[in-house]
Amino acid sequence: MKTESEIRQTLREWIVRTSGKIRAEELDDDTPIIERRIISSLQLTDLILMLERLSDSPIDIEMLKPGVFRDINTIYRNFFEPARA
Amino acid sequence: MNTFEASVEKLCSASIKDYINPYSYLEWPEKIDTEQWSTTPELISLYGTPFYDGLSTAEQQRLSFYEAINFFSLNIHGEKSLIEGLAQRLYRKGNDLVSPYIHHFLDEENKHMIYFGGFCVRYAGKVYPDRKMVFTREYEPGEDDFMFFGKVLIFEEIVDVYNKRMAKDERLAPIVRQINFLHHRDESRHLAFGRLLVKNMYERYSDVWSMDTRERISEYLKNYLQATWKEYYNPAAYKDAGLKDAFDVQEQALQMQATRKHRAEVSAGCIRFLMENGILLEQPQL
Ligand SMILES: [Fe+2]
Ligand SMILES: [Fe+2]
Repeated sequence: MKTESEIRQTLREWIVRTSGKIRAEELDDDTPIIERRIISSLQLTDLILMLERLSDSPIDIEMLKPGVFRDINTIYRNFFEPARA
Repeated sequence: MNTFEASVEKLCSASIKDYINPYSYLEWPEKIDTEQWSTTPELISLYGTPFYDGLSTAEQQRLSFYEAINFFSLNIHGEKSLIEGLAQRLYRKGNDLVSPYIHHFLDEENKHMIYFGGFCVRYAGKVYPDRKMVFTREYEPGEDDFMFFGKVLIFEEIVDVYNKRMAKDERLAPIVRQINFLHHRDESRHLAFGRLLVKNMYERYSDVWSMDTRERISEYLKNYLQATWKEYYNPAAYKDAGLKDAFDVQEQALQMQATRKHRAEVSAGCIRFLMENGILLEQPQL
């Protein structure tokens, strides 16, 4: 499995590539990607697929709490930290 | 009575005539043999790619079973949000003409989930989870309603191309054919209603909307069409069918010429309708 910083880097690159609305140097781990419409609802489908791949486990969106995709920090906490604990 | 009203009334009568009991209509076999076709081979997402050509017939048939589970699962998710949206619009002010039809629409979509869910749970023990999410935002007057029915139209038009072909395909397990047939029977009315309503709404609102709004709608529906197609390529189904590197398969298959051609063919009718009515402002790349 990838290290924490590799995962964060992968997420950052994916967001920049998918969005097309933000440059890498403008995106921090606490930049709100949904609120600022950097990622659209339709792109979330791809984000979920990418997270399933990266974490190697399926995601059931009906079980997700609101706000889990807020920013890179939140995504990391929700989808990767429990697996490491 | 204007033509819109008359058409809605006609659709209501047709629904009443075709009304069925979803529990007594289908004969469910004890189990499904996965070494037979559950999806028309030419409609399997990987058809025409090396991923598909490299499989034995038995493996292709196993894949066709999980593709059916995926197709039925995505119908269930589409129908769940459809029912939510329809229920919200029932008896809403300004909907007097369509409310009687919304009753049929709701009834029929609920039955569809009984067929689709019945198949998935009986034979695969599961429904694949949904990956679609929507967030609310500020809309122009009528935009929210229009987008809702625009998305429904895209979703149902694509599904129906599959249903029509599979209902006729004698290679398929009988229960799969029957479900596709029953769905198509109701959907032919939903499609007629969808086109009628979407056209009617666009004519009503497009003068009120700014060019910005019209562009935003076009862009959104284009992205929705692409997102809808991606769901037909489900790594979870590939994994269940025994394929290796399911995520790579999904990513690569989506880029291949054979699958692009397939998506363009299946969506042609729906794209033509949206372009002819000025709703889609440019041809989507699929
Ligand atoms: Fe349906
Ligand atoms: Fe329908």
